[in-house]
Amino acid sequence: MDFTLIFENIGIYFTGLQNTVVLVSISLVLGLLLAVPLAVLLNYGNNSIRLPIRAYIYFFRGTPLLVQMFLVYYGFGQFDLIKDSLLWPFFKEAYFCALFAFTLNTGAYTAEILRGAIKATNHGEIEAAMAAGMSKLLMIRRIILPSAFRRALPAYSNEIIFMLHGSALASVITIVDITGAARIINSRYYSPYEAFVTAAVFYMTLTFIIVFLVKKLEVRWFAHLQPQSNNPAIEAPP
Amino acid sequence: MNDRNISVVLEDIHKRFDANEVLKGISLSARSGEVISVLGPSGSGKSTLLRCINLLEIPDSGRLFVSGEEVLLKRSRNRTMPADMKQVERIRSKLSMVFQQFNLWSHMTILQNVIEAPVHVLKIPKDKAIQRARMYLDKVGIPDKADAYPVHLSGGQQQRAAIARALAMEPEVILFDEPTSALDPELVGEVLQVMHTLADEGRTMIVVTHEMGFAREVSSRVIFLDGGLVMEDGSPAEVFEHPATERFSAFIKAMV
Ligand SMILES: Nc1ncnc2c1ncn2[C@@H]1O[C@H](COP(=O)(O)OP(=O)(O)OP(=O)(O)O)[C@@H](O)[C@H]1O
Ligand SMILES: [Mg+2]
Repeated sequence: MDFTLIFENIGIYFTGLQNTVVLVSISLVLGLLLAVPLAVLLNYGNNSIRLPIRAYIYFFRGTPLLVQMFLVYYGFGQFDLIKDSLLWPFFKEAYFCALFAFTLNTGAYTAEILRGAIKATNHGEIEAAMAAGMSKLLMIRRIILPSAFRRALPAYSNEIIFMLHGSALASVITIVDITGAARIINSRYYSPYEAFVTAAVFYMTLTFIIVFLVKKLEVRWFAHLQPQSNNPAIEAPP
Repeated sequence: MNDRNISVVLEDIHKRFDANEVLKGISLSARSGEVISVLGPSGSGKSTLLRCINLLEIPDSGRLFVSGEEVLLKRSRNRTMPADMKQVERIRSKLSMVFQQFNLWSHMTILQNVIEAPVHVLKIPKDKAIQRARMYLDKVGIPDKADAYPVHLSGGQQQRAAIARALAMEPEVILFDEPTSALDPELVGEVLQVMHTLADEGRTMIVVTHEMGFAREVSSRVIFLDGGLVMEDGSPAEVFEHPATERFSAFIKAMV
């Protein structure tokens, strides 16, 4: 057991950390931006628009993230259409391929989470919005989505954590993320234990930060569900 | 139909759900300032009638006028639909509705509930809407609940908040669908009292209710709905003292 080699090489881990954080954050943001309109259309769109969205979600939930990433990274290069297009400089890069696969993957899962949350909107609240003269778009923006986001938060925080851990797969296509850093250290010093325990500590720290931030958001967003503090009888357990 | 004093006119409104014809030709006009109690046995179509007025249900046939403007309906593929959703939204913004289950937006504070539609539908500046909202929360007796969430209020307080939300639109007519039916008996009084105040202020109200006391003492006109038709229509004194139909005498007897 020799952790000095980790301290000597900690720079690689910080590079890995940076890559993981950037990769996961961008995928999550883009995936969420993709998921919101898809979830709305799944609830309120007509059949011809719902069908392709369902197919997309089914594909990305029905196949492993690793396979999706390989399809993009190794597969796209086989199509002349892509190779000759302006997109090729992007799909040539492992980093972009990972980002692309991760975004579509989390987009599909998030769309499914939000679809359910939107569907569960209290019908009376929707009727109150209609009765007040709101247009459909205004109602979606002001009533349905804000309430659906709150309902979706617990499931979505799981999705964030899954995405963080799933991102370890990026190391398979040469990206130096946290896992990639561990693999480099392992192959350089043949010390898998030190290398991967360090990676685990990084992932656990990130997970802890995510859980902490979600908790803070819950306190703010779930104020409408929390018992009032002046009623000790129904105080939530700490 | 351009009489400024007439808020809502229904002409021969029909509405069916599949084989079940719920409204079989309802004609009715509500003058501004009138407080109309709509009575009737369960399933007689009271809610459906009220919901046809603000187009939460679309009548199959008949004509509907709100403050002089005819609601444009079109038939397509055997269904009647609004011809112009923008018109429907505009008309709904002139008619507030108070629901049996309150239907406050649960993720918003009471103040946010009250200013939501004035700000985003009527486009009233936010500070003015807040000022107005506080006035109405004062009127319904819950000025201290502005920053609470609906779940933290009692049923009676929630319904009063819903009434403040309805008032904040400064509507032509307020539609009430059994506003006290979901309340514990001891909370009914506080809501009825607020409604009494509104009636005294001369607001136009159409109230579906089982509260006979309210119908007799507060409303200026009583309508009895049965079998999808208006069976009685008159002042409380007329209707209660001299019912025109056997059904209504039986209904009153059953209620007391
Ligand atoms: N959306 C709907 N789909 C199908 N049937 C409906 C619908 N809404 C109402 N009905 C039917 O229409 C009839 C009248 O219902 P409505 O709710 O208008 O009665 P009501 O007079 O308000 O009764 P209550 O006093 O119980 O509230 C009932 O038979 C009901 O089952
Ligand atoms: Mg009803």
